[in-house]
Amino acid sequence: MKILIDKNTNVLVQGITGRLGTLQTKLMLDYGTKIVAGVTPGKGGQTQFDVPVYDSVAEAVSHHRIDASVIYVPSPFVEEAVSEAVDVGVSFLVIITDWVPLHGELKIRAYASAQGVRYIGPNTPGIMVPGQISMGMISDSAVMPGNVAIVSRSGSLSDEVAAHLSEKGIGQSLVVGIGGDQVVGMNMVDFLKLLKEDEKTKGAVIVGEIGGTAEEEVAAYIETEFGKPAVAFIAGRNAPPNRVMGHAGAIISGGQGTAQSKIAAFQKAGVRVAKTLWEIPLLVKEWA
Amino acid sequence: MRLYEYEGKEIFARAGIPVPQGAVVRTASEAREEAARLDRQVMVKAQILGGGRGLAGGIKVAETAEQAEEIAQKLFNGKLKESQVDCLLVEEKLDVAREIYMSITVDRGRGGAVAIVSAEGGVDVEEVAKRNPDKIFSFLINPLYGLRGYEAINLVRQIGLEGKHLTTSARVLSRLYQAFISCDARLVEVNPLVITNEGEMVAADARVEVDDNSLFKHPELQEKHLQRIDNVWEREAVSGNVNYVDLEGNIAVMANGAGLAMALLDMVKDRGGSPACFLETGGGISRQRMKNGVRLLLKKAKADPRIKVILVMIRMMISPPDEVAEGLMEAISEVEVNTPVVAVMRGRTLYEQRAKELLKDSGVPVYSDLQEGIQRSIELAGRED
Repeated sequence: MKILIDKNTNVLVQGITGRLGTLQTKLMLDYGTKIVAGVTPGKGGQTQFDVPVYDSVAEAVSHHRIDASVIYVPSPFVEEAVSEAVDVGVSFLVIITDWVPLHGELKIRAYASAQGVRYIGPNTPGIMVPGQISMGMISDSAVMPGNVAIVSRSGSLSDEVAAHLSEKGIGQSLVVGIGGDQVVGMNMVDFLKLLKEDEKTKGAVIVGEIGGTAEEEVAAYIETEFGKPAVAFIAGRNAPPNRVMGHAGAIISGGQGTAQSKIAAFQKAGVRVAKTLWEIPLLVKEWA
Repeated sequence: MRLYEYEGKEIFARAGIPVPQGAVVRTASEAREEAARLDRQVMVKAQILGGGRGLAGGIKVAETAEQAEEIAQKLFNGKLKESQVDCLLVEEKLDVAREIYMSITVDRGRGGAVAIVSAEGGVDVEEVAKRNPDKIFSFLINPLYGLRGYEAINLVRQIGLEGKHLTTSARVLSRLYQAFISCDARLVEVNPLVITNEGEMVAADARVEVDDNSLFKHPELQEKHLQRIDNVWEREAVSGNVNYVDLEGNIAVMANGAGLAMALLDMVKDRGGSPACFLETGGGISRQRMKNGVRLLLKKAKADPRIKVILVMIRMMISPPDEVAEGLMEAISEVEVNTPVVAVMRGRTLYEQRAKELLKDSGVPVYSDLQEGIQRSIELAGRED
């Protein structure tokens, strides 16, 4: 069974000729990702590492079957890049770009969900199925194929956690960062639902951080539904608390969001919480 | 970016939300003149960005123009919550029959913008949320349509408003949403929204926070954004596209990515180290951001002798080791200071080797083992009791 993507997924790169797009397209191709086309308006007809470049997503889909798109366009253009892909039926998107305007993120979320399109990001390191496909910047050297999934809210920390597992011989079935912004697409629970059904995945490592209530929701899901073991890590136990935004911020969070609240929620759900990165593989070894 | 009350009220007024009559003043005599012009009881409100302004004595009622001048003089001479008061808002004192609460903000959990209303407003609204959550109602707004009139009506109906109060408050809420959109806000909050004895609704306060990622659309704010950061290091961080937070200890901590930097901070502290500050550059670190980050910490160490060591951890995902190492060396060559730098560089084996080779003669020890790097920096800082 595949979790959203696998080695047969045909990938489009939006923003394939930009600085980041160029750098990462090379790395993704090297990893074996099936990148079949790229888009940069005005560069149609050119190629990038032998990948054909088109002026629009519509043109790309008229020449290729596109299963998923990874987006590197500069932040002011992300909202349109998403609509463009959604409008021509691309059903899974990974939005790498950071510094995306908040109101654009609100519209992306509403538009994509109205069209039934799933997406990750913005401001995500991407998603990787080790040994098969990489959409984003998770490094090939950090991961190895296996049966533990890493579901993370962070970027470079996801990479680091994967490296700590791999260094102890624990491979991964999936490594994903959901994106660090306030409004993102798929959340951690969405991924746990997919992992629950994935027979290859034995359990999950949840990499959370302070702020928001995502970890508390994950803990509740694991306690009642997940049915597989999990280990959690929460970054920011000693960080100064996030500035609460007005009374509205306090009303919404209702006292959740601190490291203590998240750790307590995981402990209540029977999830072991690692204090350090090097403790994560020790705890995972108990069941993996 | 948080705006001053008076700036928030300007935005509200442009969106058609009634605000009290009054003006911003920068001297005590201007305060007297404005109070005389209004010719009634006035509120004198210090314009600072921190919360808890009322409790700290920053909001006073003046019966006469002379009294307004006296209050203004005191506020200008002193400091409020450690902030210098540069300007005041002098405005009519409202004739309050009732106070309610309205805001629009982004609810991360629900994945969208929400309108929130409470039957009770004022400084205790958070207490209301805890004690009587059934007095607070919210609605998830579809950004493709905006907040529609009937949705606003349905929401304010829930806090028990009827007749003219119902339609007026729904109109204020719709206009608040317009304000939220017009300035790319993360938050627009009216607390309290005063219902006067004459049945008018007036925004007695205004809190507006603009999305930092949208400041490029508002050049007039972008400029003020930098000027308003009091902490010189935070200001340098913002102009260098990195994030910085001051702490108390003796180990300056830096990493690429907020999650990684926080994890590093925790591990340093757990091992008995004491972080002096926290700096993160974003995950895909460029040579320039590497340089900006390290240079900031070296300058900070030069200015603050409490800092004994700088610990830099880079997870080289897509950043080639040459960029990372060169950024580091350029920063070191620009700032003359003896504070040692310890680097942890992790990534592909080839990248790790290359980073070590490039930094061989720099005097910076480079570790590929995280625990060793943390241990070394704590030793250099000298263990604390």
